[in-house]
Amino acid sequence: MTTSVPRPKADAEPTAVRAVLSMLWADKFATVAVIFLAVVLFCAIFGPWLLDAVATKQNLRGRNAPPFDFTRGWLFWLGGDALGRPLLARIVVAAQNTMMVAAGAVAASMVIGSALGLIAGYSRGRASQIIPRLADVIMSFPSLLLAVIVLYMLEPSVTNIILVLAITRIPVYLRTTRAEVLEVRERMFVQAARVMGASDTRIIFRHILPIVMPTLLTIATLDFAFVMLAESSLSFLGIGIQAPEITWGLMVSQGRPYMTNAWWLSFWPGLAIVLTTLSLNLLSNWLRVALDPTQRWRLEMGARKNG
Amino acid sequence: MRKFLGKRAVASAVSLLLLIVMVFFLSRLTGDPTQLYLPVDASLEAREKFRELHGLNDPLMVQFGRYVVDLAQLDFGDSIRKARPALDVVLEAFKWTLALALITMALVTVAAIVVGSLAAFRVGGLFDRVATFFSLIGASAPDFWIAIVAIVLFSVNLGWLPTSGTGTIWHWILPISVLFIRPFGLILQVVRGAMITALSSAYVKTARAKGVRPRPVIFVHALRNGMLPVITVIGDQAAGMLNGAVVVETIFGFPGVGKLMIDSILQRDFAVVLAAIMVTAIAIFLMNILIDIAYAVLDPRIRY
Amino acid sequence: MRSVYARLLGGIAAFAVAGPVLAADTDIIIALNEELEVVEPCMASQSNIGRVILQNISETLTELDTSNGALKGRLAESWEAADADTWRFKLRSGVTFSDGSAFGADDVKASIERTLSDKLTCEIGAKFFGGMKITAEVVDDGTIDITSDPAQPILPLLMSTLTIVPAETPLEFTRTPVGTGPYVLSEWNAGQSIVLDRREGYWGEQPVVTKATYVFRSDDAVRAAMVGTGEADIVPLINQNDATNPATDFSYPNSETTYLRVDNTIAPLNDIRIRKAMNMAVDRDAFLGTLIPADAIKATHMVPPSTLGWNKDLAPLAFDVEGAKALVEEARAAGVPVDTEIEMVCRTGNFPNVTEVCEALQQMFADVGLNVKLTMMEVAEWIQVYSKPFAEDRGPRMVMAMHDNNRGDPVFSMFFKYACEGVQSGICDADLDKMIADATAATGDARGPAWSPVFAKVHNDIVADVFLFHMVGFSRVSERLDFTPTIATNSELQLSQIKLK
Repeated sequence: MTTSVPRPKADAEPTAVRAVLSMLWADKFATVAVIFLAVVLFCAIFGPWLLDAVATKQNLRGRNAPPFDFTRGWLFWLGGDALGRPLLARIVVAAQNTMMVAAGAVAASMVIGSALGLIAGYSRGRASQIIPRLADVIMSFPSLLLAVIVLYMLEPSVTNIILVLAITRIPVYLRTTRAEVLEVRERMFVQAARVMGASDTRIIFRHILPIVMPTLLTIATLDFAFVMLAESSLSFLGIGIQAPEITWGLMVSQGRPYMTNAWWLSFWPGLAIVLTTLSLNLLSNWLRVALDPTQRWRLEMGARKNG
Repeated sequence: MRKFLGKRAVASAVSLLLLIVMVFFLSRLTGDPTQLYLPVDASLEAREKFRELHGLNDPLMVQFGRYVVDLAQLDFGDSIRKARPALDVVLEAFKWTLALALITMALVTVAAIVVGSLAAFRVGGLFDRVATFFSLIGASAPDFWIAIVAIVLFSVNLGWLPTSGTGTIWHWILPISVLFIRPFGLILQVVRGAMITALSSAYVKTARAKGVRPRPVIFVHALRNGMLPVITVIGDQAAGMLNGAVVVETIFGFPGVGKLMIDSILQRDFAVVLAAIMVTAIAIFLMNILIDIAYAVLDPRIRY
Repeated sequence: MRSVYARLLGGIAAFAVAGPVLAADTDIIIALNEELEVVEPCMASQSNIGRVILQNISETLTELDTSNGALKGRLAESWEAADADTWRFKLRSGVTFSDGSAFGADDVKASIERTLSDKLTCEIGAKFFGGMKITAEVVDDGTIDITSDPAQPILPLLMSTLTIVPAETPLEFTRTPVGTGPYVLSEWNAGQSIVLDRREGYWGEQPVVTKATYVFRSDDAVRAAMVGTGEADIVPLINQNDATNPATDFSYPNSETTYLRVDNTIAPLNDIRIRKAMNMAVDRDAFLGTLIPADAIKATHMVPPSTLGWNKDLAPLAFDVEGAKALVEEARAAGVPVDTEIEMVCRTGNFPNVTEVCEALQQMFADVGLNVKLTMMEVAEWIQVYSKPFAEDRGPRMVMAMHDNNRGDPVFSMFFKYACEGVQSGICDADLDKMIADATAATGDARGPAWSPVFAKVHNDIVADVFLFHMVGFSRVSERLDFTPTIATNSELQLSQIKLK
């Protein structure tokens, strides 16, 4: 991400940062999204350290305390759970595990999936035949069975949950990347680059990947929600992350029996998932515009107007 | 084309075989159905008798050999829990899943392409913002929320629709609506992204500048260009549905393959697990072949 | 064009309402939580199969009256001990099966042999007739001698579990059960519904309900909502959180007992002070009315209070954090490794709120200075740690379990849970083994008094486990029906007991 005007290196960086910030400021939704994500990140890093003690303090006789009771201190603004623990504190603490699982699984599946997809789409050899069939196999392998197998042979842990979820999400990236590469590799400029003697690596990374990337990012942001909810349904079935560990997904599934009489138990952690996903998507939409030379004018114009 | 199909059929058969071998051996690492089937107080002799009766004492290779020999005669084995042919059990459930998936995906595809294209036409406009906002909320909200809220609202309070079950077309409305939301959000976003790219590409711009009218012509041009990732994601979502819509099946009492699969995995009813995976895998493989054909049709430059 | 449209809409509307309109008042719909996997009479001890089959399609020789614990005749009119190990049953005459054939002693003999056969895995056989050999001898068409080895003083009670099928029934699971009951299976739409119709020619009184349709909904909230919307008349199981309407929602003791099975063989759990401290650490009153329904009873036995030999002198150790801490310290001083991590294994979905209950227990144990780690497991994994053989290299461990004894006699519980050879026993005590053996063999009026001291020894002297609660279940019944769920509702749902208001 650099500005188009070349400048001496010394002040190039502050200018670049300012340019990015002003482009961000031009899209108010993206600005709010970035602030929200920063808060989530802060909770994920420092939450357990700050609030772990209050988040696990039980009070059976004060269970399912309703939200918006401002007499009990800010921890109970969102109400209490089935064991009388403050929901706000639990959501903050759970951010760490949640983000680790979601970011880990999405990043791993996206990197592996798109790499395999690039190879499958670009090569004309055996890899282009075998890799898509691998995706077929993974797509047909039920994720629950995979989870049961992995967690039976290995210990149930955050890492292993990431492993299970990452494997099951590989095909979508693999297949999307392959589909786009199949088309892009036939385009004029790629053919031209090849004729001019560019290496395969250069063609893939300089010419093909930037075109495929926006679609992958769109899918990845929504996959964040999918992975969090998939983890939630694994917990619900007794596989995956279990109490006393907490994640947003686990909180959502624990609140399920109370849907009709204490909605807040599953609503707040669910809202956290929704807002995180929404923010990531707004951010990725902004990135798509900001990174695309043919569209950047939308933001630069906005920035000038605001400036 | 014929060569392509032939090659694909062979490759898919090999994949299926690989899948069966993997599932057969890996699933047996997850424990023995004996204790799950018998009451907890059953004696060690009763457990031994059960294992003997169902051939669970034989070495794994012997069990696999027996399975393959039966399979060659199209016998998928019997469900331990249901005491009848596993394939019958699976096909009964699969017809519901197939109907649900086909109807839902058809609606999703049309709706997402129309709404996504309109949103892309004026990026950042009111329609774009509203469509993106609501579809994303729908796509990232826990599906059981939406299902329960819909039941409470439309069945319990308003009394317009039955809560759950099968029998009349009214029973299909809530499950399909709930199932619709997530793939709609995702595909809408992919369509929107692909359309933005396509609409800003050189030749569409040229067409627009030349004043090509009406708009649908531009749409169709742009759409055709951005369609490959869209079809892929539609396929991925459809595959997910063919594997069963667990939450919808559980909440609405819909007898599909998703809950069957989960129950069989948790109860270690291996014959049903294998039969279900084979049936859904064949459906998914077929769909992926259709998708690859669609790529080539949409973009004649694509060769395999 | 317009009329085509209208006709189409009209057709759809007629299609949609066809079901309810045709239904008679005496037809009822019952929403179960799981589909039946089989409709095989010899599997009727599974609760959801039992709710459909037991005494509706298939009947038994005897029947337990859960209101007073007495045994009454059903297909048998009377019975008596012929000698130490043989019982003679006089059968009811004039009874026919739903296929028209007459019921006689050879059907009883065939049913016993089928239920206990090697060729089938019948749950009734495995659950109630394990470790004994039963032979039946037809005396005449209305009389049968049933012999057991070893002798079973409660053989007539055991016969209340064994469903009777015609002698011709093949040695494989049937999909068209034939029985002597007042109803006959008329439809089974896989995944959707099972329909029972009242049949002509039943030997007893004609029931009011003409047709019962069973539908299957796994989601608690949906199942509960169906009574309000008129889509179901009886929901035998609803979640305690949904049981909020006193006009339709009934609680009933469901004969289940929750407890923590403690492995008494491994330090520090092999020390009685630690086990006492754990019992004192649990604030049972705090659970009642919160995570556990208010109607549940604090448990001191493995069996519910309506069971023979129930010892009313037993009381749970009082909740006493300081006292428990003192016991832990005393044990520490005596060299017991009290800081060792103890694993508490719970099973997801075991009963409503199980996760929260286990988290609360962990906190309570921590409050008295015990280092307890909670592990939640799915059923297949859980059952391996609950039942023997136990792993050789296991650490100190307790397992949360829920045990059902709805037969009114402790023999169905105490051997399995407390004898040295018991499959889920965490203890081995020679004296206790002898007491259990004696009580099992005791007959008549001596039987109750023989069991009472067994309960006292387990609870007071050995302090083997941490008993929690005798549980209750909740049913929702439409206001148009006159039916009150009882302890029996957990295993059967006799349509003949349902009346209209």
